[in-house]
Amino acid sequence: MSRRRRRHQSTEEVELNLAAMLDMAFQLLAFFILTFRPGPVEGQINLRLPPPVGITTEGTAKPGETLSTTEVPKGLNTLVVSVFANEGGRIASMGVGENRINTLPGLDTKLQQVFSDKATPFDQVIIQVGGRLRYDELMKVVEVCTRQTLPDGQKLAKLSFVEAPD
Amino acid sequence: MSELEASAGKPNLTPILDMVFQLITFFMLVINFKAASLDLNLRLPVVGSARPVDTRGQTSLLVLNVDQNGELKVYGRPQPVAQYIAREAHVELMAARMTSDDLAAGKELPTTVVIRADRATPFRYLNRVLQECQKNGFRRFALKAMNKEESS
Repeated sequence: MSRRRRRHQSTEEVELNLAAMLDMAFQLLAFFILTFRPGPVEGQINLRLPPPVGITTEGTAKPGETLSTTEVPKGLNTLVVSVFANEGGRIASMGVGENRINTLPGLDTKLQQVFSDKATPFDQVIIQVGGRLRYDELMKVVEVCTRQTLPDGQKLAKLSFVEAPD
Repeated sequence: MSELEASAGKPNLTPILDMVFQLITFFMLVINFKAASLDLNLRLPVVGSARPVDTRGQTSLLVLNVDQNGELKVYGRPQPVAQYIAREAHVELMAARMTSDDLAAGKELPTTVVIRADRATPFRYLNRVLQECQKNGFRRFALKAMNKEESS
């Protein structure tokens, strides 16, 4: 009797019901297809932004007294780039120090002149920006600044922003 | 497959199941949950020299979406600028202290702040966000932009 049953079992085939599994797999697939949203390919400009500091020396010397410190005042190694905005938030004009500049290529040329000088004291830039200036216009100026190479071969990455009155 | 099954016209589901599992595996691998933190309604500025993201092994990023009205949005929800940044700075400080003991409050945080601002955002709104970040010890910033104009 038992021998007969064993023989009967060995001839039985185990069959998986794949239809249920396929249903579940399709549900999962539908979920992933519906929630799939590829992220945009974005770039970025990396900056190191220290908080803006005053460019005048906090001296302890009294009037008439000679400064004994050998430290260069912070203001002397900071180049100020001014960007003025028009009513629409576009760049109206720019300035590097005392020089007035109207175009971005002009700004690029001026900055190249400044930083190509081996004796330049500047290693950081403060960008003085009008509050109305649009972000895309600001990024054009930032791009020009970060393109500059310092006399020591490093790329200019130390920038600070200051809001200028419109 | 037995002769009986074949004659009953039962389809062989194994290849289709294989294919579906391959597709599921593909979608599971490419799914990106970080994209949820990005506000895709923002129109980023186009800057030719913007480089693709390079975190250099650093994974701590604080993504801030600023729309053209100066509203800070995180996971699609508007947040108060000062409170949100102060809270995040506190969290980052706690996390950074777990790896370095000498990090005091107000010192430079190792986190990079990723600013995603709309191209029409006036600087005064952006500056408010930057100043709050600087006040709370963030020094490393990444300004997001597109390499080229998106085709719509």
